[in-house]
Amino acid sequence: MKGFCCSQLFTRIFFPGLFPITCLAVVFLTGCSTSTVIDEYKVTDTHLDLNQGEQVVIMGRRHAGEYETEPDFINCIGGRLANGGQLKVMPEQEFLDSFYPWFEPRIAPLKLKRMSRILEDPMIAERIKSLGIRYMVWVDGNTETTDKSGTFSCAVSPGGGGCFGFASWDKASIYEAIVWDLKQLDEKGRVKVETKGSSYMLAVGAPIPFIAQVQSDACEGIGNRLKGFFLEGAPAESTTPASAPKRNSERMLDHRGMIKS
Amino acid sequence: MALVPLLLAACSTNVVVSGDYPSALTKPLPYHVGLVLNNSFTQYTFKSEEEQNVTMALGQSQSKLFDRVFTDIFANKSRLQTVKKQTATTPNPIDLMIVPSVEEVQLAMPFETRLNVFEVWIKYNVQVFNSNGEPIADWLMSAYGKTQTRFLKSEEAALDQATTSALRDAGVRLIIGFERIPEIRDWIEQKQKEQPEKNKSLAKSGDLS
Repeated sequence: MKGFCCSQLFTRIFFPGLFPITCLAVVFLTGCSTSTVIDEYKVTDTHLDLNQGEQVVIMGRRHAGEYETEPDFINCIGGRLANGGQLKVMPEQEFLDSFYPWFEPRIAPLKLKRMSRILEDPMIAERIKSLGIRYMVWVDGNTETTDKSGTFSCAVSPGGGGCFGFASWDKASIYEAIVWDLKQLDEKGRVKVETKGSSYMLAVGAPIPFIAQVQSDACEGIGNRLKGFFLEGAPAESTTPASAPKRNSERMLDHRGMIKS
Repeated sequence: MALVPLLLAACSTNVVVSGDYPSALTKPLPYHVGLVLNNSFTQYTFKSEEEQNVTMALGQSQSKLFDRVFTDIFANKSRLQTVKKQTATTPNPIDLMIVPSVEEVQLAMPFETRLNVFEVWIKYNVQVFNSNGEPIADWLMSAYGKTQTRFLKSEEAALDQATTSALRDAGVRLIIGFERIPEIRDWIEQKQKEQPEKNKSLAKSGDLS
């Protein structure tokens, strides 16, 4: 609040004509936020075992016709999970190439039962063992633009150019990650994240974008939660007994640092 | 007037598919295969002039894929110019000869489907001949690949990625499906039956000598 008052005073004294624009910018900046809902389910409350030389692989689901889980998003989660080298994460493409064709979209196992049948092949089982792949995290979902409104146009002439108008769009990310233990051939938990956000583009001469980081917020949410499955001290606090399955659900408004339960 | 061809070229999409394909993790079949990749296959270029001019050169990339897949799924692989009958005197005779050809390519772009993805379908006809040069199977096989539109990514890059993913899918179908073609399955069964008899007769001739 103090910052806002100072900027108000500053513009009023030095740039009185810019005051309405500053007000608009403040309105847009506060409007350009994202909301994230995370739903987590863990089979046990203890951290998942990951011995020396063992690693995790994060894979995107791409079997649906109308969307694909973005490879960039999978890399983003991988980066968060690796946490500066604390956890060994095999890049998705490297895994797909090492096991070609068994995890390509056409024949990738959708259920654990099918995965166990794939692992009956000694060549595949041997490679899983030699690469030390202990956990497989399947991520399904995507980010899409749900609504668009407004227009703006740009023109260029020999004397110069510029844009005028206003546009806004809403984006929604919905992803679910499922953790499979390849040693015990069972499911260890799930994390579901839903992030929504609105972005704006104001153009008065030069276009000024206010972009909501919907996908990167979803990545942060799902990545931090998955980290909690493997690492001590990562966000995975629980109030349920250690033996009972755990479900954590939280709502948070970020970008402005506000968190609501 | 001189600007017209320049403007037309600016509106068309030209792609040279540049994918790389990994080795297959599979147990090779104990046979010698001959792969015939003719010019119409190795230099195949898809052209579409329906709503937007699209030219896509996928011959080199698909040749690389077929070469890689047949090297991996058979114990021995040779490149042949044509299908030819193997005689008793042919050194290292070939058991099967494969001649692939492209039957059809289809594209779906976001402006047509209103979906946020580029899609590519490729239909192949894989002809299989035995060592006498007689046709034993005619396999129509289709592959599909897609890629999502990306901010600041060109149409060329998206189509290249979608086609590479369709070719990877074609590889999946070849690796998993080739053995399951009924005619090929029968041929393998026949070969497996012949093998012990051949071994027996070889053993007998060894005893006699």
